[in-house]
Amino acid sequence: MAAPGHRRRSRLVSNVVLILFCVLTFIPVWYFLNNAFKEEKYVYQNPLTITPRQFTTDNVVRAFNHIKYGRSFLNSVIFVTTSCTLLVSLASLAAYAIAVVGGRLLGAIYVGFVLMITLPFGLAMIPLVSLLRDLELLNTYLGTSLVYTATAIPFAVFLYTGYIRTIPRDFEDAARIDGCGMLRTFASVYLPLLGTVTITLLILRGVAIYNDLLIPLLTISDVFKVPLALRLYSFATERIIQWELLFAGTFLVSIPVIVAFLFLQRFITSDAIGGAIKG
Amino acid sequence: MQITYHQQRFIAGLLFVVPAMTVAVVFFVYPIALTLRYSFTNWDGLFPQAEWVGLKNFAVVLGERSIKRVFFNTFYLVVLYVPVLNVLAVLLAVHIHNVARLRNVYKAIMYLPQMLSLTVVGFVWKVIYSYDGGLINEAMIRLGLEWYTQDWLGQRNTVLPAMSLTIVWSALGYFILIYLAGLSAIPRELYESADVDGAGPVKQFLFITIPMLAQAITISVTLSAIGILGLFDLPFVLTEGGPGYLSETLALRVYMYAFAQLRIDYGLAMAVILGVISVLAALVLLKLFRKREEVYG
Repeated sequence: MAAPGHRRRSRLVSNVVLILFCVLTFIPVWYFLNNAFKEEKYVYQNPLTITPRQFTTDNVVRAFNHIKYGRSFLNSVIFVTTSCTLLVSLASLAAYAIAVVGGRLLGAIYVGFVLMITLPFGLAMIPLVSLLRDLELLNTYLGTSLVYTATAIPFAVFLYTGYIRTIPRDFEDAARIDGCGMLRTFASVYLPLLGTVTITLLILRGVAIYNDLLIPLLTISDVFKVPLALRLYSFATERIIQWELLFAGTFLVSIPVIVAFLFLQRFITSDAIGGAIKG
Repeated sequence: MQITYHQQRFIAGLLFVVPAMTVAVVFFVYPIALTLRYSFTNWDGLFPQAEWVGLKNFAVVLGERSIKRVFFNTFYLVVLYVPVLNVLAVLLAVHIHNVARLRNVYKAIMYLPQMLSLTVVGFVWKVIYSYDGGLINEAMIRLGLEWYTQDWLGQRNTVLPAMSLTIVWSALGYFILIYLAGLSAIPRELYESADVDGAGPVKQFLFITIPMLAQAITISVTLSAIGILGLFDLPFVLTEGGPGYLSETLALRVYMYAFAQLRIDYGLAMAVILGVISVLAALVLLKLFRKREEVYG
């Protein structure tokens, strides 16, 4: 056993190191948060401090109107919900079949899914745009959501399969004896057990889709359907010299994820992320 | 004909897999197959016109004067980013694991950048690195280091380190969580018996923590290497590959060919090159580290 003194000293060192890194990590976030609410001249004069006298909501209001916040936010929400609903239902159903029914063919399909995880999106990107155009899915909510679903299915199937394999077979047998069909067994026995994995998956994918720039850049040009991240990109590219507006824009795009983070933090644990990755 | 119970299950199983497979094949695997096929043609993005041109596209993209720099940039980022990120993440995870009360606060603050869009990250850091009034140069002026102020994103020597620092900042929290999961699986007894044997904290870290983290290290190194090879959003927003092509990466060049210069054929060849490198890197890293893991048991 370590001496208590030795333990306390080591804790102190850890706390000092961590406080230092937390401050360093937080400075860039604080930089845009506080500057979003300051008059232009103070952004340059006092980049890291804010007083009530310098406070203004002008920048945020102007940025809000410019990026058509309500509409753009709604668009992001539509992409996130459509794609996440598809992803969770398709992937969990496939994983259930792979883990519970098994057999050589399903085993081979599973290996196929796992191999797909290693393929980068860039490899599919160019013909994908042409394909969407030919299917008349370019510039549609469904088309873009399907792209998000397709690129995440391999990982989601992998994740769900790993998890379902840890559920004892007795559940399946009991349901069968009670006369449940497979779909019924899946829906009423397995689906409720997948809650924690599903929440992890939803958070990871939801944040990734909300934040994504590349796929809307390739697939959405209709101004009415542009999601927030892409809107911010066009807005900020035109205003790279008007920092107070740029900061207000980044604040507006970030605030939903920051609020979501405060509420969902207890689901973003090392076990969830670590488990999600190890499968 | 009577269908047996097992046949019935087999058919149901297949039906359950079909929807997921269809979506993944149509919108991911099939386009990849098209990339491979059309990279040997002069396809302009409109089906079905395309003529076979053999290896011409590859010859053109690999023959460009700037291509060496693009390869250099990509590998420089991998070599700089992957070790720095993983060493920092392991050390910070060990420190977080070591403290009791504030553990969740530290974790939350360090994870926060991971929640932000890389579009946000790119623009904020673009301002931070600005020559005139950027946070870094301002801080240096106020600390009397005026002589050292730079145009961080505008110069050959500073643009790539600056970009990697931003990526480390944004990704660190995620990798800390992976290592924390690994740390919580290490049995306490190992450290207790090491204490009895008189091993100090450095020795314990080197001979218990690191070997026991082998699996987490494998996963993190592989994920971070593949991640940075395919990274698009951040370089696109932060520098657009500039100045000139001094920070252009392979992933960015695929986009530039196909969607900025509208040379679909060159873009496809570049995409194939990037794809081959990413898959090879993933396989090599996994193989390399798996062997390590076996050594440590």
